[in-house]
Amino acid sequence: MLLLKLYIVFLKIGFTSFGGMSMIPVINSEMVKHGFMTSSEVTDIVAIAEMTPGSLGINCATFAGMRVAGIPGEIFATLGVLTPTFTLCVLAAIFFKKMKNNRYMGHAMYAIRPATIGLILSAVFVLGRSAYFPHASFAPTSLLIGLISLYLLMRHKLSIPKVIGCAALLGLLIC
Amino acid sequence: MKTKDRLKLATELFLFFFKIGFFTFGGGWSIIAEMEKEFVEKKKIFSSEELLDIWSIAKSLPGIAIINVCLIFGYQLGGILCGIAAVFGIVLPSAIILSLVTMFYSLIKDNGYVERAMTGVRAAVVPIILSAALSLSKKAFSDWFTYAVAFLAFFLCAFTDVSNVAVILIGALTGLLMMEVKTRAVA
Repeated sequence: MLLLKLYIVFLKIGFTSFGGMSMIPVINSEMVKHGFMTSSEVTDIVAIAEMTPGSLGINCATFAGMRVAGIPGEIFATLGVLTPTFTLCVLAAIFFKKMKNNRYMGHAMYAIRPATIGLILSAVFVLGRSAYFPHASFAPTSLLIGLISLYLLMRHKLSIPKVIGCAALLGLLIC
Repeated sequence: MKTKDRLKLATELFLFFFKIGFFTFGGGWSIIAEMEKEFVEKKKIFSSEELLDIWSIAKSLPGIAIINVCLIFGYQLGGILCGIAAVFGIVLPSAIILSLVTMFYSLIKDNGYVERAMTGVRAAVVPIILSAALSLSKKAFSDWFTYAVAFLAFFLCAFTDVSNVAVILIGALTGLLMMEVKTRAVA
């Protein structure tokens, strides 16, 4: 029963979330309501999700599921949060493949593509603000690490895992 | 595609996403950079327009955007089996790492070393995403109108509460309208 409840709660979170930090309020109210986590644990999991790879939704499902009901809990919670992907998104994928050469689809995509670039750049802006100007103060060492990473990426074509590794090391040394 | 080839492709996708799954910092945005490098630049089996299209669809659906991207991407390459393989590839690393973190939660929580290393990683994620945006933008911009749309989308997303879905929908509508105007002008 507990497993089913975990599945349903995370199913709800999955369907009501449209990416990233917008999930936090939903996650918070659901976790506290069902007694899966306290509010301060939700804050912690957001910080942990920031420090570990993977998206907030999956990380939260893993953390809550495991604490409430061990590995099976983790699996059920994760499957819950994945359900929108395995239902709505599969339909969208099928539809998209069929519509690929449709004229109107092409017209819509003509403006959706630059809009998506705008969205990605806004993620750069928001993440950059919190990385280089944490708590409204300037962090020169972080900016330096960012510039070094940019240089390694663009000039030396270093792979992303390597850049992340270098940045972690630099963080340990100079931050 | 034969069943055997399909299984081979599914395995390849699973392994690729499993590998990059360990490095999806910054809410998963950096994997778009990895996908661009691997499938657009290196293997050339995907165009940057197609990657952007997938990204925009995935962002406008409920659920976790990055996982939606993996599903649609896998589906495009080799059907539903490949889509599911890509999803499990990207999910497993974070589930494994988070399980370990949950077990050692109290140790990691206030550790100064972890904190400093992560400050470095967060600083690096920004240029990683920026480089992806730059490579992808080559095919997205054709005239002044596309620049205006990108700027508007950036502004709405960075400074207002307008959701990603709304931004994509507004994009779709302006694209349809603009092309309609253009076709009429020619005719």
